[in-house]
Amino acid sequence: MKRLALQVGGAAVPLLLLAPAFASAQESGADTTNTGIPVTDQLVIDSCDRCHAVDDDGMMTRVSYMRKTPEGWQQSIRRMVTLNDVELDPEVARDIVRYLSDSHGLAPEELRPGRFEVERRLIDWSYEESHEGDEDVDRVCSSCHSMGRVVIQRRTKEEWDLLMAMHRGYYPLSDTQGFRRFGPPAPGATDTRQPMDKAVAELSGKFPLTTAQWTSWSATMRPPRLAGTWALKGHDPGKGPIYGMVEISEAADGADFTTRVSYAYARSGEQVEREGRAIIYTGYQWRGRSFEGADAMSVLREVMMVERGWGEINGRWFAGDYDEFGPDVTLLRADGPVVLGLHPVAMRSGSTTTVTVHGVNLPTGLGTADLDLGPGVEVVSVARSDSEVLAAEVTASDNAAVGARDVFLAGRPVPGHLTVYETVDRILVTPEAGMARLGGGAFPKGFAQFEATAFSDGPDGKPETDDDLNLGFVDVEWSMEEYSAIFDDDDIEYVGTLGTDGLFQPALDGPNPNRDGLRNNVGDVWTVATYRGPDGKEVRGRAHLIVTVPLYMRWEPWRVQEMPIPRRRTSDMGNER
Amino acid sequence: MDHLKAINQKARRIQEHVAPPGGGSAAAGGAPVPSPLPADPGDLDVVGLESREGPHIPLGCSLVFAPGWEVDSTGGTAGLCQPVERDLFDCHLACFWPAHVPDQLNHAPDWTGKCAAAQKDWRKIDLIFP
Repeated sequence: MKRLALQVGGAAVPLLLLAPAFASAQESGADTTNTGIPVTDQLVIDSCDRCHAVDDDGMMTRVSYMRKTPEGWQQSIRRMVTLNDVELDPEVARDIVRYLSDSHGLAPEELRPGRFEVERRLIDWSYEESHEGDEDVDRVCSSCHSMGRVVIQRRTKEEWDLLMAMHRGYYPLSDTQGFRRFGPPAPGATDTRQPMDKAVAELSGKFPLTTAQWTSWSATMRPPRLAGTWALKGHDPGKGPIYGMVEISEAADGADFTTRVSYAYARSGEQVEREGRAIIYTGYQWRGRSFEGADAMSVLREVMMVERGWGEINGRWFAGDYDEFGPDVTLLRADGPVVLGLHPVAMRSGSTTTVTVHGVNLPTGLGTADLDLGPGVEVVSVARSDSEVLAAEVTASDNAAVGARDVFLAGRPVPGHLTVYETVDRILVTPEAGMARLGGGAFPKGFAQFEATAFSDGPDGKPETDDDLNLGFVDVEWSMEEYSAIFDDDDIEYVGTLGTDGLFQPALDGPNPNRDGLRNNVGDVWTVATYRGPDGKEVRGRAHLIVTVPLYMRWEPWRVQEMPIPRRRTSDMGNER
Repeated sequence: MDHLKAINQKARRIQEHVAPPGGGSAAAGGAPVPSPLPADPGDLDVVGLESREGPHIPLGCSLVFAPGWEVDSTGGTAGLCQPVERDLFDCHLACFWPAHVPDQLNHAPDWTGKCAAAQKDWRKIDLIFP
């Protein structure tokens, strides 16, 4: 089978800017016009016109009538190569992806609601809530794949129709599995359309080719100037907050930028140094990779959005066979001092702890008077004060006011709050619904990382009300309990193990001869976090974990067979049952 | 019903009960009652698992765990087709769950070529990157 290894950082290609071909924009309503986006790049024309004819107006069949993310275009090109005998050098394919992403792409406002798809987040998300979408339309698409794949595309009505036809042609059963499932409507229903017909009507109305956002964005899109020093803050699930710095430089080769990244985990102090490269698609879509030294196993993919104003870049860096590891990150331009946050974000009244304030270009040599934590919280001493961290020993008096308080460092506000509390009343385990996939035999394992956040009930003394105090990430003892779905449920004996760090390691894939009916090691369990306060009082929280079957086909366009195995799972390839 | 023949008293009573008024009656002495002919001779054909309304969906364990590959219809794993290897070949051949299982029509025609029975040879099944 032919494969394309499309990687960030190919041959140098200037960022192409195209004025939109259409004069009028429409916010919504089915796009039934035949107005498309001309294809003017000769490389694209030469590579595609064997099947996609270009008319006198520069309109290329199919291609001129849709807009997508870089990943969306990459996936289309891979399908052309694998199923339609297109032969492309990887360098040419990269250039085509780049051209199409820039000139047939999405405006930032169009991508934002569905950005979780490209950021590879496993989240609870509802098409009905996010887009006021129809339940049947949701079912038509998400019977097989994420709705995120749909909401980050824009097409004319004819193109949405053709997309349905493509699915029917390649996957005939999709017609019954999704397109007409539960249809036709009951006799007497006011809407007698099949679900697929509702889908075409709704999608072409909600996601038309021509929009005001794209008209505006594409007319003035330009390469962002990002070189310089950026402050980094983020959260790595299971490991806590990270703070650091990123130096972004203009690249001399195929990438747009190179990066030097350094950050530290606030809880453990562990330092990380990385180097990376990135391309900016459509004037704002950051796609990069970074590594620790020359270690290919340390790869993190970077998917971020450069915000308008070029002062902030945010998104997710990830790794893992199911993209399950990696931090959420925000980069802030750091021309001057930038205060990023503090750690920990809560302390018990009557206790003493070390508080660290993190930033970039912070004033140095600060003393106890420069950290203002409000009345009742005294700064006893300053152990460290440099341009990145101020560390101070802090005591909260027994009668310090309970609640979140503003914090200032040398007169500058520190983002977030320090919360003084009396008791931990509730533990929230996230994700509240987690999923892991069996693996290690023939297929990779999909891990699930859990973490615990503490809450105090607040002044009203009631849990889960608006005045609850978020006390941040806390250390807990992890355990599992059976989630009884059937009589004599015994999943817990088979599904895998939950580590002391909240990382669930699934068991081996394949039929288990020791289990009834040769069942796989699938199952439902509770992951339980037990917090013990200084008085010995226990507070528990739990989340539902589903341990399920692998994926036997991987569509992510960057995923190829030669991809290195991330280090975090190589030690977990054992044969445990 | 036309293909079935009542051979005891209870069956004959049922047959009599379901017969439309005037369509036939039990003969004296309990002789077999001929079934009323359906209005459409095509209705004589009975096809296993056939659904006369809506599309025909071959019955298989895939149906059990709709709506998702990962979870059953209750959102858990208890109702999943198990072991999954028992179901894989059907999914492959029918292009069921094409987002999760390689499809035999296009992307992976030889996916199962190395294993006669997935339940035994599941380690030989490849992960497919289209």
